[in-house]
Amino acid sequence: MSSGNPQKSRLRSVLALTAVAVSAALVLAGCSTSSSSGSGDSSSSKVNKISVTLTGGGSDKCAVSSTSVPAGPVTFTVENKSSTGITEVELLQEQKILGEKENLAPGLAKSSFTVTLGGGKYQVYCPGATKELTDFTVTGKAAAASNSSAATLLRQGAKQYATYVDDQVTTMVATTKALQTAVDSGNLTDAQTAYAKARPYYERVESDVDGFVKPGFKATDNAGNLDYLIDMRASNLDPKVGWHGYHAVERDLFQSKAITASTKTLAAELTSNVEELSKLVPSLSYKPEDLANGAAGLLEEVQTEKVTGEEEAFSHIDLVDLAANVEGAEEAFAYMRPGLQKLDPSITKAIAAQFTKTDALLDTYRSSTGLGGFITYDAATKAKDANTISQQVQALQDPLSQLAAKVATA
Amino acid sequence: MTDGVSRRALLGGGLAAAGAGVGALAGAGGTLAAQAAAAPPPDESIDLSQSHPFYATAARQTQGGIETPPQRYCVFMTFDMASTLTTDLQVLLARWSAAIAQLQAGKTIGTVEPSHGAGVGADTGEALDLGPASLTVTVGLGPGIFDERFGLAKHKPAHLAAIPALPSDNLDASLTGGDLSLQACADDPQVAYHAIRDLARMARGTATVKWTVLGFGRASAGANQSTPRNLMGFKDGTRNIKEPADFSKFVYLKDDAGWMAGGTYQVVRKIEINIEIWDADVISDQQRVFGRDKVAGAPLSGGTEFTTPNFHKAGDFNGRAIDPTAHIALAAHENNDGVKILRRSYNYTDGLNQYGQLDAGLFFAAYMNDPEHFTRIQTRLGASDRLNEYISHIGSGVFAVPPAPRSGSYVGEALFG
Repeated sequence: MSSGNPQKSRLRSVLALTAVAVSAALVLAGCSTSSSSGSGDSSSSKVNKISVTLTGGGSDKCAVSSTSVPAGPVTFTVENKSSTGITEVELLQEQKILGEKENLAPGLAKSSFTVTLGGGKYQVYCPGATKELTDFTVTGKAAAASNSSAATLLRQGAKQYATYVDDQVTTMVATTKALQTAVDSGNLTDAQTAYAKARPYYERVESDVDGFVKPGFKATDNAGNLDYLIDMRASNLDPKVGWHGYHAVERDLFQSKAITASTKTLAAELTSNVEELSKLVPSLSYKPEDLANGAAGLLEEVQTEKVTGEEEAFSHIDLVDLAANVEGAEEAFAYMRPGLQKLDPSITKAIAAQFTKTDALLDTYRSSTGLGGFITYDAATKAKDANTISQQVQALQDPLSQLAAKVATA
Repeated sequence: MTDGVSRRALLGGGLAAAGAGVGALAGAGGTLAAQAAAAPPPDESIDLSQSHPFYATAARQTQGGIETPPQRYCVFMTFDMASTLTTDLQVLLARWSAAIAQLQAGKTIGTVEPSHGAGVGADTGEALDLGPASLTVTVGLGPGIFDERFGLAKHKPAHLAAIPALPSDNLDASLTGGDLSLQACADDPQVAYHAIRDLARMARGTATVKWTVLGFGRASAGANQSTPRNLMGFKDGTRNIKEPADFSKFVYLKDDAGWMAGGTYQVVRKIEINIEIWDADVISDQQRVFGRDKVAGAPLSGGTEFTTPNFHKAGDFNGRAIDPTAHIALAAHENNDGVKILRRSYNYTDGLNQYGQLDAGLFFAAYMNDPEHFTRIQTRLGASDRLNEYISHIGSGVFAVPPAPRSGSYVGEALFG
């Protein structure tokens, strides 16, 4: 990795790739008022009307006025009378969204969408209702089958995501070796720079790779836990195992500001543990919900360890890690996006908008002279900006945390 | 005057029983024993199953949490709009309204346990089984709602404007302002906190949280409530508005307020008390500062708690029995062109401050039909109140409180044509 901002450009390239798939999905997903899905049935010229009524009171209900109509155009009119738990209604066929209404709140006017439906099985989906799915039958001529379901696209995305994780871990090995070389040279400034360069890789994929226990160790034994050995912080040390990994090296480089024989041992040991991790990672495979949970998990890391300044207690490069967490989450989202776009275009759009806002906020902390490309997350920065960062990340994490349930059932 | 026993008994037994109670308890011996034996006052027996309706049943009804007898706890939070889309504001107010209606009925906001394990609950669940606990949530709209962002300037309530800088203000920007306010009061602190937490959660992405105060020990009395004490140990709100005629004259907005008719204005201040310094002040000076007897609450001009203070009576403090710079003298409507405001304050604590001192004070909340009334009173208080040596106004906000919505509608619906 040379100078500049490799992590950022890598991210952009993935997003650019997926954009192609997204446009294709947009064409297929009939989410507007006159869907082309289903060939329709010319014998039925009148528009059938279905009303969907949402009520609350602690156990939220979604009532569909009729569960069977003849093929042809159907107008779904949705009214939220009193439900606080249900805010959207979708019409699904094989998990593909054919029509939907979002932002449904009591007191707002009724809203409707019209779709032309061929004969077959559909479902009215009211997330948050006591009974979320209501079967809906259309009688008459069948619609043409969809060629690529959301589930297929999500599975493809999850498979491609595995390549991204492997790539990050491969680079992590290289940057960690570079750190070891700098430590061995005894040049403190070089070692500090190398430390900051090595850090983002683990932080981007941490939620995917933190589960490995070395062969022959019990799951509860930190001496065999690769996450412990690589990324343990001062606050969670296990006295039986002692301190190893990036942050032990960080302590020497930034607190005692001295490279000793022990620092060199720690750096060499870190390289070997990261290498061991890189051998295990290719065995991983991912389900779509793993991407969703992983993305939300990375943002949880932001809130619990980076915003507090706990992660990089000595070097104060927490913003480097924080940006890496966000980038990792954004990658996972990018790989899910083509499938998500079919499954739920509105939440996809909402999350994409929150990522844009988060990226824009993080950009304000970038510094060409700062270690790792960001300003130092010192006490003053923390006092001034922690709240802003935390709230933006929360605004992103909330819709992201809804995704696992959606993609798991796609 | 310094007999704590008699006050307690008075509160507990009511006026008629008190006379006998005082003698009997005093005769029985020590103060502690007497206090332990005293029954709680009648208005302090809390029925956690009691609930207040959220929706109005007639035109121009005010939201709950204003005239509602003050509950024991209150959580206040303000928000800034993150979105500049008018529809986002509309959806937020609609979702909040429906949610508040359910919360006040002791229900959850949607499901706590989604049907499949990978789902996130719509309600966080910590208030399950706690009952409605008389919860009220009051929604306020700050001046920012009517700026250029949402196209609502033409609906701006006539008197809604930021409180001007006042004498003795020591405001912290992070405790000031907000586009929206929520005041959740309940007789169970967890019920109040749950309401604010879940409403804040609902706002994520649309609005960001700004500042918050967790209040306990109501520091203002409503009708038929005994007068509670602030953290300085003095009865607070003895002369508070209690009569319906005063509410209609000083608190509620009339038909000329258009869509705000039946609404009111909310002024909030976070007032820090220098507790340690106050605690070291001698009792005679404490009483001079307030202008009242500490235990009984009677004005220093004589009588009992509810005797009207005589601000002209001669005495030792600047020539008067009640010092002209005493808190009650400067705050009295007699000395403020007859203006009254409804106080609905709570004590608060934020633990310890960075100097290891108790970080606590008064969350002052007041309702009035023109925020200028607060400004007028506080201008006098801020300039010469003897209390200023012991307190500091560190937070501030002003909000328009629209009337309560009817069922099927939501707070502020009139704003969105």
